[in-house]
Amino acid sequence: MSIPKQEIMQSNHLACPGCGAALAMRLALKALGKNTMVVIPACCWTIINGTHGNNFAGVPVFHTAFATTAAVAAGIKATLEKQGKDDITVMGWAGDGGTFDIGLQALSGAAERNDDIIYVCYDNEAYMNTGIQRSSATPIGAETTTTPSPTVKDRPKKDLMEIVAAHDVPYIASATISYPNDLIKKFEKAKSKRGFKLIHIFSPCPPGHKFPENKTIEISKLAVETGVFLLYEIEDGKYKINKKPKFRELDDYLNAQGRFRNTPEEQREVLKEFIRKRWEKLLIKAENFG
Amino acid sequence: MKRLVLGGNDAVAYAVKQSYVDVVSAYPITPQTSIIEKIASFIGKGEMDARFIKVESEHSAMAAAMGASAAGGRVFTATSSQGLLLMHEVLHWAAGASLPIVMANANRAIAPPWSIWAEQTDSLSQRDTGWIQLYASNSQEAYDLVFLAFRLAERVKNPAMVCMDGFLVTHTKEPVAVFGEEINSFISKKETNALLDVENPIAVGALAFPNVYMPLKIEQNNRIFSAKNVFDHLSNEFERISKRKYNQVYTYGEDKADVALVAMGSNAETAHLAVELLAKDGIKAKLVKVVMFRPFPKEELSKALEGVEKVVVFDRNISMGKGGIVKDEIAGALGLGNVIGVVCGLGGVDVSETDMAKVSRGVLDGKVKDDMILWGEV
Repeated sequence: MSIPKQEIMQSNHLACPGCGAALAMRLALKALGKNTMVVIPACCWTIINGTHGNNFAGVPVFHTAFATTAAVAAGIKATLEKQGKDDITVMGWAGDGGTFDIGLQALSGAAERNDDIIYVCYDNEAYMNTGIQRSSATPIGAETTTTPSPTVKDRPKKDLMEIVAAHDVPYIASATISYPNDLIKKFEKAKSKRGFKLIHIFSPCPPGHKFPENKTIEISKLAVETGVFLLYEIEDGKYKINKKPKFRELDDYLNAQGRFRNTPEEQREVLKEFIRKRWEKLLIKAENFG
Repeated sequence: MKRLVLGGNDAVAYAVKQSYVDVVSAYPITPQTSIIEKIASFIGKGEMDARFIKVESEHSAMAAAMGASAAGGRVFTATSSQGLLLMHEVLHWAAGASLPIVMANANRAIAPPWSIWAEQTDSLSQRDTGWIQLYASNSQEAYDLVFLAFRLAERVKNPAMVCMDGFLVTHTKEPVAVFGEEINSFISKKETNALLDVENPIAVGALAFPNVYMPLKIEQNNRIFSAKNVFDHLSNEFERISKRKYNQVYTYGEDKADVALVAMGSNAETAHLAVELLAKDGIKAKLVKVVMFRPFPKEELSKALEGVEKVVVFDRNISMGKGGIVKDEIAGALGLGNVIGVVCGLGGVDVSETDMAKVSRGVLDGKVKDDMILWGEV
């Protein structure tokens, strides 16, 4: 398959150079098309989409309060259903803070009700818009402004996919911008399915992760190749691994980013163990529930 | 028109059913719950064609209501007390985004300690959220004000809250005149007038720099202020089908009274009786009932209190460290020096007409010189 030519998102948006989240939206909207409505809580995209009078997404956007993404999207969908406008896709588009932390309750509510929306978390693994504070999506060992060295994050990243999987929803997928075909395919699949869909996008952030702005795709790729970010789907309860990691040296990934510069050796080991265990668990699920 | 014996909650549910509501999004809380139970049963029986989003919190109830309203639906929700407080952030958002959501609030005291009984501190704490606030003092008013609230909210593009005291109004069964087909001349299916439209893709609520933000807030302030005239206009229209007339401020009794008893919600019913008691003693008294609290009916109150010697405001609410909220608003807005505030009935404590009359006499006799809290022997 090829990447759709249509461009819905506009250029001149306000993202930082090399922003993974800007590219993620561009690809997502290529797949979803212009009959899409987007709900955006407090996050980087509050800025990226432009100030009052602008709308770089190119589709209707409702900027909303931090914790409310999934609930607002559910409300929009309810009215569209009542109006018989079944051809419009409603997408919640939130960062990791708005998803893993403050928006988790509303997300759980919408998932449990199986509201017919696509919920996207573009995950840059910290509160980047407020200046790099730790979230529950921040990986173990990472330095942020609220986990400064030597008090780097000492707890593992929350497993969003499995939390949502526990709600028994029709479609859950992970994706990242260095695999655009895979990402687009997942959005197309999400669009075609009724009920609650989650797409978890790993979205590298040059200023937050501290790497040069021309390395975004490379970091995204490294995350997959080292097994830090696993590409898989859970469709109607069935697990499918989309890309088996090569298990490149984790240090290749860590050393390319300033946020891991002060990660102690023992924490690197904990992270390696965490990655290994998570892969093993996923393999078991894919074998038993594939 | 037929008469049914209904509590305020049931009355609200009937009005919602007759208002062509597209989406309801709500979360249970005492003493509001029977509103949404009744609505769920109307939908279940096919008597009402609406989507009901059974959200996981009041924060989400208002958030889902916003989404549904932004997509062009007519939207209702209901809450009370802690639930309303949890909504606070989203209340501001709904008003700022000019979404004509209608909400019923069962006025209930705030914890701790836990209380499920009547008090208006919950909705008065939402005074500055930009919502229109209407207060019903009985089941009939609760029923009628829902229709007026929908028309008003949609006309001025601003959300509206219909408040009624927990149990005292929500659960007290009274005969209510319920409309038949005639209501359709007052309210019909909502025109789709959606903020969100794929043919016209705008971003709602985007970041505004100071010189853009402030004019938008001035515009919002003008919007809610415009609800005063629109309410009067709609009220005339409503009177034609109902023979019931609603004013922003309702008065009863002597025009140039020695004493005016000001109250909002169920207290107004009690104050009505107190005015009659005072009249029996030859005291010229009048009731001033605040029906619309936001936008604030300054001119209407000014007119109602003109020439009145003493004003006593009975507040079933309290601003800690200050006093009764309605009293404070009236004295402040009108610049009056003859207003005594009486905080009473917190957490559902009974307030009797004899107590109200006694306090009013005390004010006239000069025994009550300052704001007071009505508690224990009067």
